[in-house]
Amino acid sequence: MLSFIGRSVIQKLVTLFLVSIVSFLIIHIAPGEPSQVNPLNPKFTPEIVERFRKAFHLDKPLHVQYFYFYKDLLTGKTTSWKDNQSVLKKIWERFLNSLPLFIVGTLITWTISFPIGIRAAIARGGIYDRSTTFLAYLLISIPGFFFAYILIIFVVTRFHVPVIGMETFGLREATTIHMIMDRIWHLLLPSVLGATGGVAILSRYVRSQMLEVESQDYVRTAKAKGLPPEQVHYKHALRNALLPFVTMFGLILPGLIGGSVIIESIFSWPGMGRMAYEAILARDYPVILTVNFISAVLVLAGTFLSDLLYLMVDPRIRL
Amino acid sequence: MTIRKLLIFVPLALTLILLQSYLWVPTYEEQTRGNPNRLKEFITASIGDAAILNPILSADSASSTIESMVFEGLIDRDENLRFRGRLATSWEISEQAFFYINEEASIPGLGKATPGQVVAYLKKARDGKLTVDSETLASLQNIKAISIIGPREFEVTERQKKAGTLKAQEIKLHVFAPARIKLTLKHVDQDLFKYLARVLGENYFASFNPERYVREESGKETDLRTYARKILPPVEHNPVIVFHLRPNVIFHDGQPFDAGDVKFTYESIIDPRNLSPRISDYEPVKRVEVIDPLTVRIVYKRLYSPALATWSIGILPRHLLNREALRKEAIRRGMDPAKFTMRQSNFNRHPIGCGPFVFREWKSDQYIVLDHFRNYWEGPPNYERYVYRIIPDLLTQEMEFYAGTVDTYNVQPHQVQRLQSDPRYQSFSGLSFGYTYIGYNMRRAPFNDRRVRLALSMAIDVDKIIKYVLHGQGERITGPFVKQTDYYNHDIKPVPYNPGAALKLLETLGWKRNAEGWLEKNGKRFQFTLITNSGNELRKAVMAIVQNEWRQIGIDVRTDLVEWSVFIKERVDKADFDALILGWSMGIEPDLYQIWHSSQTHPYQLNFVGFKNAEADHLIVKIRQEYSHNRQVEYCHRLHKIIAFEQPYTFLYVNKWTAVLDKRIVIKEVDAKGHVTYKKIKPTKTGDYTFYFNKWVKLPRVPTFSLE
Repeated sequence: MLSFIGRSVIQKLVTLFLVSIVSFLIIHIAPGEPSQVNPLNPKFTPEIVERFRKAFHLDKPLHVQYFYFYKDLLTGKTTSWKDNQSVLKKIWERFLNSLPLFIVGTLITWTISFPIGIRAAIARGGIYDRSTTFLAYLLISIPGFFFAYILIIFVVTRFHVPVIGMETFGLREATTIHMIMDRIWHLLLPSVLGATGGVAILSRYVRSQMLEVESQDYVRTAKAKGLPPEQVHYKHALRNALLPFVTMFGLILPGLIGGSVIIESIFSWPGMGRMAYEAILARDYPVILTVNFISAVLVLAGTFLSDLLYLMVDPRIRL
Repeated sequence: MTIRKLLIFVPLALTLILLQSYLWVPTYEEQTRGNPNRLKEFITASIGDAAILNPILSADSASSTIESMVFEGLIDRDENLRFRGRLATSWEISEQAFFYINEEASIPGLGKATPGQVVAYLKKARDGKLTVDSETLASLQNIKAISIIGPREFEVTERQKKAGTLKAQEIKLHVFAPARIKLTLKHVDQDLFKYLARVLGENYFASFNPERYVREESGKETDLRTYARKILPPVEHNPVIVFHLRPNVIFHDGQPFDAGDVKFTYESIIDPRNLSPRISDYEPVKRVEVIDPLTVRIVYKRLYSPALATWSIGILPRHLLNREALRKEAIRRGMDPAKFTMRQSNFNRHPIGCGPFVFREWKSDQYIVLDHFRNYWEGPPNYERYVYRIIPDLLTQEMEFYAGTVDTYNVQPHQVQRLQSDPRYQSFSGLSFGYTYIGYNMRRAPFNDRRVRLALSMAIDVDKIIKYVLHGQGERITGPFVKQTDYYNHDIKPVPYNPGAALKLLETLGWKRNAEGWLEKNGKRFQFTLITNSGNELRKAVMAIVQNEWRQIGIDVRTDLVEWSVFIKERVDKADFDALILGWSMGIEPDLYQIWHSSQTHPYQLNFVGFKNAEADHLIVKIRQEYSHNRQVEYCHRLHKIIAFEQPYTFLYVNKWTAVLDKRIVIKEVDAKGHVTYKKIKPTKTGDYTFYFNKWVKLPRVPTFSLE
């Protein structure tokens, strides 16, 4: 066990190092300049461009730039080129904004998919199963932005309540409970939208897992020995069907820093995705690379976590 | 079974918690009509957030919108785009001109002359005691005073780059400057020395040899001639602007504004550590002098008429940003004071200026809130609060506008017809400061022939493009100036759409249609590639239409969409294209040097089409040196004509914008007796409807106006 952890950590550190090099190279090789340097602005003389490049260390060879950047990152001193704010502080703020969206979205996905998927598996081939299949494919195929517009227009014109932003704009003198409920309301639509794809896919996944387990010999045995169907489905079958989902849980971790550009833009949500997207457009390398680095760390930590979880829940696996 | 119950109960509970929150949310109705405070705030929406709220550091439009509210410049432009005083009450522009006594030249009727003799001679000429032509006399009479600066001796250290090495070498030059004549002029006169040469002899200035007066000390090899010309220019124009500042103006923190702040703002811009993107505007400044707390004098190194407009820059408070203040901030925040510059300061997120609105709060990517400034020198704006919301999606912006939580909405072209006639809103529209064009690479055949470019322009039906691509929201443009300014020459008619005539014109140049219908000359097909950047749907549509139209007259046009940064770096900067579709956004100042002067045709410069025209060059330089508006207009009209004639671009269109506004917003005016009148908001001549923003007020219901 300990040797597994040790080996795994070393492997992941090597991967992380390689990721840091590759992502650094990709961003620097991609064409384009930081938006502070606008080549089509008549006011930008070559001297100014040169001065900006120097201030950003862009005049140095790549390996020196790499060194500068990661030194700053590891000492927490990276600053955004756009507004000279500390990158870590910026990311932390955005992270806190994206977090509720992520939590509620994940909660919706995981709590709703299971009952739907299980029911579909138990009543396989029935009208319920077929209609959820249809619905799932509908939700997967509908473009997110389109669905978002439909929902916004429906809610706004039908209920006359604001839906965009993190809270009702201009809500100043309100009680705490009002504030909290207002925030929850603003979470509803974007997190439902964020969860639609997840629900559709996960419920299909649950269904197929359940079906697989339901056809196992021990489930048949359980049925044959006269256990009530509920106990067969929920105790014998479901428990074993859950195993692969435990590993999936670790893989949600990178989603913490992902955020959806489209949904955040449509709902004016000041989240991670929008910040990263705008940083890419403005070639704000420190922000892009830091987000990239953190998400690489989270992906690696996520896989590590899911390995560990698997070890714990499935006694058959020993390392 | 507990698991089963759990599986059903948990999602149900979650759904219920989420849905019940609806009951707590205020409706739009409660937010807008039920809320009396809502009438006191103006809310606007923007796609992007501000980057940095410091007028000398920012370069994006969101930041400058907020800065124009929080900060105030010395001057700005009035309804007719003429300058008007803000923090400055008035200003005078004069000139000091210098020339070195040319000891070798002989003056007609005087011979070789001492400085004293030259002065006396010039005074005589000015007083009409010599026979000179009337233009020269007029120029001479503009001279207020003539004085002599005696010979001087000084040392200059120059850095010179040695060929083949990277290291710069310092060279010491010893200069024995001859006597110099200083002329103080009433008005700036760019032709002064042209006329003086008529008095002092045509070669008096041209033959001045500065090399005689400069010696290299250390005996190193140098290009003495270049340095001497730099150190001792034969003639020099030093325009001078004196600003008289408004008394009793205070910053939002209560500190008084004075001339020191103006000087400080200038110094901050030119400080290389601040990396100000505006530095090139202030490069021609020689020095900024504080005469007294309410007078600043700015001396320029050379004639540069766009200089006045640069003083519309927001003035920074010196007491909050000077070295001492920055050092204290660095220490407080635990940063290295030596590396701490204005760019790092927290001021950029909590700006303090002396504009009509006080900064209150900024939540990144959510909103910026400003409150009106009670002690604003012109009286506080009627709105108590200005809110700048960041809503990146246009449809959501539109929804918020209908709901009443945003007061204005910039209408998209396809919606204009519907929203303009909507009785709930008042609408405004105008032309934007920019145009779209097709540029031809004039270094390449056949685009080096004006007639070919003209024929290509004639084959494009621009009116149709405006009608179908822009939904009618555009106007034709014929030249490089902003259409609503005086500089634009309205006498020039757009190139008429006439593919038949275009074909005939090409035929006279030897292009004949072959059996397949393609134009051919000497067995070579008329073939080229038209490119533009990807991501701009309008340009893409224009490209398809133009390709089709050119193909119809037998030109084999290929097209290519290139990603923006590759487009700029590989194609535009290196002038590697046949023809391209691009747009310029412009300022009001008619300075076209970077885009049209023949010296700017090298790689990485903006005259990438390679336009070279001697007369145009001459006019471009004259325009940037001319301080008289009327003469500038005259030169611009001539320049416009030349460029339109040469057709280096096919000038396509300038976009039209439309904005809608709640009808309850009107202008409130209070006269001296305290009598209140309400007026409809009227745009200025240039289409700017927010010009009187500080007088706007929102009424509880739509007012009815008596017929005016």
